[in-house]
Amino acid sequence: MKVVVFSTCIVDLFFPNVGAAMVEVLERFGCDTVMPKKQICCGQPTFNSGYVVASQKTMRNEVDSLLSIDCDYIVGPSGSCVNMLHEFRMHLADDPEYSKKAEILANKSYEFTQFLYRVLHIIDAGAELDAKATFHRSCHMTRLLGERTAPFVLLDHVKGLQMMPLPHIENCCGFGGMFSVKEPEISKLMVNEKVDDVVSTGADILIGADQACLMNIGGRFSRRQLPIKIMHVAEVLNSNVDMSRVRYADTPAAV
Amino acid sequence: MGISTTTTPFLTRVKESEKDKFMQQAVAKAQDAQWDKREASRKELGHWQDWRKLGEQIRQHVIHYLPDYLEEFADNVEKRGGHVFFAQKDTDAVEYITKLAKEKQVQRVVKSKSMVTTEINLDKELLKIPGMKLMETDLAEFILQSDNWDEPTHIVFPTLHKNRDQIQKVFEKLGYDGDNDPTHMARFAREYLRRYFLQADMGITGCNFAIADSGLINLVTNEGNADLTMAIPKTQVVVMGMERLVPSLKEAEVLDNMLARSAVGQKLTSYCSFSGEQVTGESDGPEDLHVIILDNGRSKALGTPFESILQCIRCGACLNVCPVYRHIGGHGYGSIYPGPLGAVLSPILGGYDQFGDLPFASSLCGACTETCPVRIPLHRLLIKHREVMMDKLKMDKPTTREIMKTVGLGTGTPNLFQMALEFDHMATRMFVSKKPTTVQNLYNHEGHITWAPSIAKGWTDVRDAPRPPKHTENFRRWFQNFEESKEAVRHGK
Amino acid sequence: MASDNREEFLNNIAEKAGRPRHQLAEHPFIPLNDLPETTLADKTPAALFDLAKQNSQSIHVTFQTADTAGLADLLNQDIQEKEAKSLLLPTDDRLAEYGLTNWMAGVTPSPTYWEPTGGREENIQRAQNADVAVGCVDFLCAESGTITVATTPGQGRSFHFLPTHYIALVPKSRIVPRSRQAMDWYDEEIKAGRLHTSNINFITGPSNSGDIEMVLVVGVHGPIDMSYIVITDQ
Ligand code: SF4
Repeated sequence: MKVVVFSTCIVDLFFPNVGAAMVEVLERFGCDTVMPKKQICCGQPTFNSGYVVASQKTMRNEVDSLLSIDCDYIVGPSGSCVNMLHEFRMHLADDPEYSKKAEILANKSYEFTQFLYRVLHIIDAGAELDAKATFHRSCHMTRLLGERTAPFVLLDHVKGLQMMPLPHIENCCGFGGMFSVKEPEISKLMVNEKVDDVVSTGADILIGADQACLMNIGGRFSRRQLPIKIMHVAEVLNSNVDMSRVRYADTPAAV
Repeated sequence: MGISTTTTPFLTRVKESEKDKFMQQAVAKAQDAQWDKREASRKELGHWQDWRKLGEQIRQHVIHYLPDYLEEFADNVEKRGGHVFFAQKDTDAVEYITKLAKEKQVQRVVKSKSMVTTEINLDKELLKIPGMKLMETDLAEFILQSDNWDEPTHIVFPTLHKNRDQIQKVFEKLGYDGDNDPTHMARFAREYLRRYFLQADMGITGCNFAIADSGLINLVTNEGNADLTMAIPKTQVVVMGMERLVPSLKEAEVLDNMLARSAVGQKLTSYCSFSGEQVTGESDGPEDLHVIILDNGRSKALGTPFESILQCIRCGACLNVCPVYRHIGGHGYGSIYPGPLGAVLSPILGGYDQFGDLPFASSLCGACTETCPVRIPLHRLLIKHREVMMDKLKMDKPTTREIMKTVGLGTGTPNLFQMALEFDHMATRMFVSKKPTTVQNLYNHEGHITWAPSIAKGWTDVRDAPRPPKHTENFRRWFQNFEESKEAVRHGK
Repeated sequence: MASDNREEFLNNIAEKAGRPRHQLAEHPFIPLNDLPETTLADKTPAALFDLAKQNSQSIHVTFQTADTAGLADLLNQDIQEKEAKSLLLPTDDRLAEYGLTNWMAGVTPSPTYWEPTGGREENIQRAQNADVAVGCVDFLCAESGTITVATTPGQGRSFHFLPTHYIALVPKSRIVPRSRQAMDWYDEEIKAGRLHTSNINFITGPSNSGDIEMVLVVGVHGPIDMSYIVITDQ
């Protein structure tokens, strides 16, 4: 099956480790990954800041680019950005040509863990990681994309990994895209509580499915000089893989 | 006090809130407790998402046919012998009520909690009438009034920011000599206010829902003060936002159930009452009922993308889940309508000049949208406000505007983005911090950044930033290499 | 004061909304689901009774039962327990239906009544002076432990709010699944012209407040405690 990699601007700009881990996992499970070169960004930085006009070009470029290679699925390492691809249906609704394309795009697009769990029906990706970790649930992935289950199932099956419940898991980490830059005072109060909550779990690793949140929480850890290791869920699922451990579920639980 | 509670600029208010540790802890504690209660009560009801759709449908339908429902309601109030006054502005409403109070030579007013009367600044205007005594009878509002009209911080829990010792001090001024036990203080308030109730000649209430087909007013409280306000005085004034209608008692029943669960995690509040002007043979209840239906800017939302905010049933759930409200509290917003609801509504009622900051004070986490019992897409409306301010009114600073335009260009033009990927590692060299980091696997590319200029400064004011990889080590290059090796393997076979 | 500005106000709304007036007759409200009616509707009377009991107790209500023969004794016991010096009763035929005629004549303290022609101030004062009120209510909603009552000339609004302690009498046959069934009844009675009332109360336990540090205080403006007596053979 052919899978287009939706790399997201943040991975392109900062985190090759995340993109690479995702591609390696996908290839391991039989996906033939390809990457359209003209893709850049889903448009949230401008759109969410109210520069809706300026975001039009970004959104259209992303649609055209991601659809430029014929594929079965489009998979990205960010619940938030994948949700935005889904929302293009709403944001490009006024344009008949692009609203059609947006529909096609939305139907093919999945967040990475969602794809493993709901399309490939994997519950154990064969990974092993001897550590104590906790998971930060991103708001957009949970509430807007509606994916609350996939990463937890996959992480629960990682050999040796002890998952600690994170208090106030429902609360935002204070990233919020341009919010973190424009409202640093409020964002700081939010990310501080998140850091405290992560510390309270005693976890050595903070895992997430949205690298932007991790960049925010990890950045605050660094500023407060508190120790933590940051891992994207793709990196965890790409650790010490033994294919004999891989397990599939016949019926995934409802969202 | 009107919608606005302060003239202090937004940032200053946020900083003041930041210092108020008691408030922050109280809000966080309340949010956590409410979270459990609310979710449990919704779960127990079952099919919550379908209930929400029903709630939304009721409210949307009413807003869609608002003039018709208002007409029907007004007719039915009048049929029952009551009076209806349509007030375009706050001052119209206040004028009507003060005139009525003077005509009836009212000296003792009892009020039950009502956001709308705060919005029109009714209390202070009424108190200008010589000899007038006025009492807020909701326990929280009574505390605020007794504390020199302190500002409310929550639409359901107005005194969330006050602790029991502060309240004890406030009550001591009224003659209370007990300890700081909430039950003892509440009993004191009961006795104190009971005296006022029995002497009251005018009662003023808000309105949770106005029942169009029967002309009755639906009020919900836990304390019972609204019912006493409607039972004892001979004259009753109801002040309601023009959108607070439901077709019949049945829809009020639906929404009362959803409101109680959403607001306080109860199945129903202690008192849900549906009442109008006294009927022949009854001995208490208002002999003279006046309903004031207020626009005061609400109609500005009609026919716009913001229309759905008029669906709001003032349950406060969006405040209770909001991570921003959690940290800055109600005072931070500077509006009597705080939280996500307030951030959407205040700019509509009070304008962008005064409340334009509020739509930006959100991380767009969507918790409000998810919890809203009538499915108002709150976080989308916040983005809409931003769009109106940036794209239509161009209210941003020219420099910000240029930067955001560049971001738009950079994220929309493949060549420019490629260029950025080429040079970003080099370009950030001068900002790399010498301090070691405590964080693993986040800063893998020769350092991290602790200070950055311009718009990125907001980021580094709070947290460290990653440094971009060399262009030979970025994801695009990695993938290219990966593809080549894949290709090689394929040909090799 | 006639609402002479009404047309202007309503026209303004229609204009701003961009929708003409007087469309409602053709587009009445039709609910998209029947959850309010169907929720708990499949419960047996016995299950509803259990639910009513459990939910009443969880809102700090003393839940009691008696048959008609034992009702007077239970009331005497409750009134004694509250050390009531004054007792308020409604002028309501239901008291006789519940077999309380003799009890009313002999109970101590001897009751005062909310009287249909008793005067506004007088009735309010009676309620204010009452240590205990025994009210006749229309329904008990199992889901929430809510009693419902419409104001009548013989049982006014303040009857349910001013007394210190409150006892509600409700026949077992009037236990309904949810507030919806009670509301349907009121809606129908009012529309059919059988019920003339200015006020319907849905009362869910004693008054309370969490306004001081979110600590629950039971008994604020209304009664400070509340008992429901379900009459099992009515
Ligand atoms: S916007 Fe929704 S959640 Fe917020 S107060 Fe209104 S009804 Fe409640």
